[in-house]
Amino acid sequence: MKTDLNMMGAKGAIVEEAEGKWGMVIDQDICTGCQACVAACAMENNISFVGEEDAGYGRTQHWIRIERFWEGEYPEVKMTPNQPMLCQQCGQAPCEPVCPVFATPHSNAEQLNLQVYNRCVGTRYCANNCPYQVRSFNWRDYHIDRFHANKVDGKSVYSFHNQFNPDVTVRRRGVMEKCTFCIQRIHKAQDTAKSEGREVVDGEFTTACAQACPANAITFGRVDDHESLVSQLSHQKGGVKHLEELNTLPRVTYLKGG
Amino acid sequence: MSDTTLLALFEDIDPAANAVEKLYEMGITDENINVISGVPIAHKMLGRPHPVTNVSRLALGGAIAGFIFGLFLNFGTPYMYFVPVGGQYITPVPPGLIITFEMTMLFALLATFLGVFLDSYFPNYRPMEYVAEVSDGKIAVFFRCPPGEDKKFTDAMDNLGALSVQPAEAQQL
Amino acid sequence: MASTAHPYSKPAKAHEGHHEEEQDMREFLMYDPKPRGEMNQMVMESMTTTSWKFWVVFGILCVLVATCFIYAWGYMIAEGLGVAGVMRPSYWGIFLVNTVFWIGISHAGTFISAILRVFKAEFRRPFTRAAELMTTFGLIQAGASIFMHLGRVWLFYWLLPVPNQRMLWPNFHSPLMWDLLAITTYVLGSTMYLFLPLIPDLAMARDRSTGWRKTFFKILALGWRGTEGEWRHLTTAMNFFAFAIIPVMFSVHTIVSWDFAMAMRPGWSSSVFGPYFVLGALHSGMGAVAIVLFIMRATMKHMDYFIRKEHFDGLGKLMLIVTFAYSYFFFNDYIVQWYGGDKWTDILLHWLEEGPMSWMFYQLILFNIVIPPLLLWNKKLRQTPWLLALIGLMINVGMYWERYLIIPVMLTINRMPFTWKLYEPRIELFLTIGTFSVFLLFYMAASRLIPLIPVWEVQEGQMTHSLRKVGKAEVPTVSEFE
Repeated sequence: MKTDLNMMGAKGAIVEEAEGKWGMVIDQDICTGCQACVAACAMENNISFVGEEDAGYGRTQHWIRIERFWEGEYPEVKMTPNQPMLCQQCGQAPCEPVCPVFATPHSNAEQLNLQVYNRCVGTRYCANNCPYQVRSFNWRDYHIDRFHANKVDGKSVYSFHNQFNPDVTVRRRGVMEKCTFCIQRIHKAQDTAKSEGREVVDGEFTTACAQACPANAITFGRVDDHESLVSQLSHQKGGVKHLEELNTLPRVTYLKGG
Repeated sequence: MSDTTLLALFEDIDPAANAVEKLYEMGITDENINVISGVPIAHKMLGRPHPVTNVSRLALGGAIAGFIFGLFLNFGTPYMYFVPVGGQYITPVPPGLIITFEMTMLFALLATFLGVFLDSYFPNYRPMEYVAEVSDGKIAVFFRCPPGEDKKFTDAMDNLGALSVQPAEAQQL
Repeated sequence: MASTAHPYSKPAKAHEGHHEEEQDMREFLMYDPKPRGEMNQMVMESMTTTSWKFWVVFGILCVLVATCFIYAWGYMIAEGLGVAGVMRPSYWGIFLVNTVFWIGISHAGTFISAILRVFKAEFRRPFTRAAELMTTFGLIQAGASIFMHLGRVWLFYWLLPVPNQRMLWPNFHSPLMWDLLAITTYVLGSTMYLFLPLIPDLAMARDRSTGWRKTFFKILALGWRGTEGEWRHLTTAMNFFAFAIIPVMFSVHTIVSWDFAMAMRPGWSSSVFGPYFVLGALHSGMGAVAIVLFIMRATMKHMDYFIRKEHFDGLGKLMLIVTFAYSYFFFNDYIVQWYGGDKWTDILLHWLEEGPMSWMFYQLILFNIVIPPLLLWNKKLRQTPWLLALIGLMINVGMYWERYLIIPVMLTINRMPFTWKLYEPRIELFLTIGTFSVFLLFYMAASRLIPLIPVWEVQEGQMTHSLRKVGKAEVPTVSEFE
């Protein structure tokens, strides 16, 4: 008889085998650290500009960041490959069960880690429990805060006056947010494909960061489709998942030392 | 005109206990005697019957209700709106133990508290038979004596060392 | 015969020395009874005698509450949490330090009141209420601190398990949900436990006051007379409460520790956190009781009759035991983590020992583990009220550092070295002053409004205690009425 581990509450039994749906491969060897992905992500997802002071204090709201490290002591300093870090869309996310109001549930359909802004009350437990530290919190209403507006010809110009993506909600203060794998693009592509009576083709669309990357270091697609580029790349030798030992089942594969 | 209620005030437990015994001898039944005191005095010391209380039964009832409510919260509500999180089972047992424990205790404590209110008819702001000396440690024995026998009972109480014996009046506390 | 006496024995002197240590039993409250009427009078006077100093402190606290609590919190709600110091990676800051601290303070009330009641420790009688009040008011501060911590506090009711239009129930997988239910249970339970034994004393106060006080006590006393039935219901309920509130108390602080221990973080993910936090809570709570008793005794009229050296002595012994127990868990937590040799834990421990906040770590060891046992072993020192209050204050400072180290300082170290950054408190400092002021204000107001001494329990105790002559000595005898 097969014991149903789920019935016994064994964590992870459900997703142990699942490899997910959408995935990403980041090739650290060809990443130049140009920050184009960071800028593109901010434009696409209406990410607030927090200003110099708050950014310096560790309150940047970027959903993707380029981590730079140095190895060794001066003068023998060696730079390690840049490490873009974003939400890993864990199959078994530590951030999800700790939210008291279900603001960060798991999408069974898309195998993604969702963030429901409207439900969030701002306990920030999810951010604490995220081993990748990729969640960002809206500390203030940066987009409507007059202290964060620019003065142009005596008028206050807010950041969203200059650029704004109508497909993405603007988050108010006290709400947690994080990378969504550009779920608005996923849905748009799926809708188009459905109206044309076909499946979404690999490479038909991609996330903002992957689109903007000049070195093509970021590849996005279906990891459950073994024909897709992202699936083939992620099964390459040298493909690693970050903090794999925590059994979070991340969906982002890093290629290093290839 | 029905019976009159007399109130005998005593300094200490011993004379009060004697008074209760005397009242029994004179034919006053248990339900017609009431003792008021400023500290809890065990019924045994006054030779009075064991007062019945529903508090513990209510506590048990509350505990059972809380246990069921806790089970409902953990094993019922998640099915009303299915939200998968963190690869965990929809209704895991370990958190259920915590939830049911807390709810059991909460309801049991609430029921105990309400039990005191229900059993003692609190809050009660109607005029009651009372003497303020009770909160100074005196012991008051109330009893309902048959009409026309006030004198007999008053004398009996006085002989047993009552500080005062008087007809009890309902007063606004 | 003189020659048989041992040359070294000095019986007379030895006897003298022994005599010095012996305390006269009549110095104990239980063997120094007063008529109930006189005690009532003393307690009533302690409530009504108010000097100008009281009103000065009261006024200052009112100003502090208005500015540091109401205004500061309102400003933070209006501006967002950006005015606080929390950031990545220390998403939790002083707000949760305060929460854990106040829940810790609240533990002593229940511990002293319930555990000592269950084990019939008689020295508890005069100060159970003062300790229970600390529980209730401390929990109010803990609750306020949690709400301050929320990003969108105006939506706090989304956490409550009530049917709603969104058809969404809260997530019972979340340790915060367990926390909410446990703290709710504890707040309600401890408030009811405070109120039940208060009813007879409120009735006493009702009988001996006039004017608005009379109305106030009349409403709160609920029409208590003290009939056999009422006493029986009350004592049954109190007995049940004393037993039932102990597991609730242990569960509350264990669950608070699980907020941390359940998280996947170096330093936090420790299975000993539950008992470690419970003992830490008792440690700080006992210290707080010592401070409160000292202040009560020093400032309120007639309190030197009710609160005596023996009570400080008993409390000091409890503090000594709790210090040892706390030290054991502290050592246990750190050595197991250190020996594990996990990379991140290792970095974290070095961060605590050598980082910029290491002074907190060493003060914590000094204040909580080293100094208290060095002083508390001595009976004379234990019986010195101001010294015990000072030790209590020291322990509380140490315990505050402990929570500060566990929350924002440990949060600095995570598995993503790129984000490491030290937390700097900003408006939290004002709000911390605010919560302390609210606590003190509530306590001061309560000391004028309700009898802080459970007179009927003291009288009950004095009735059960007597001195019995055995040979030439008088030995204390306790009878059980129940």
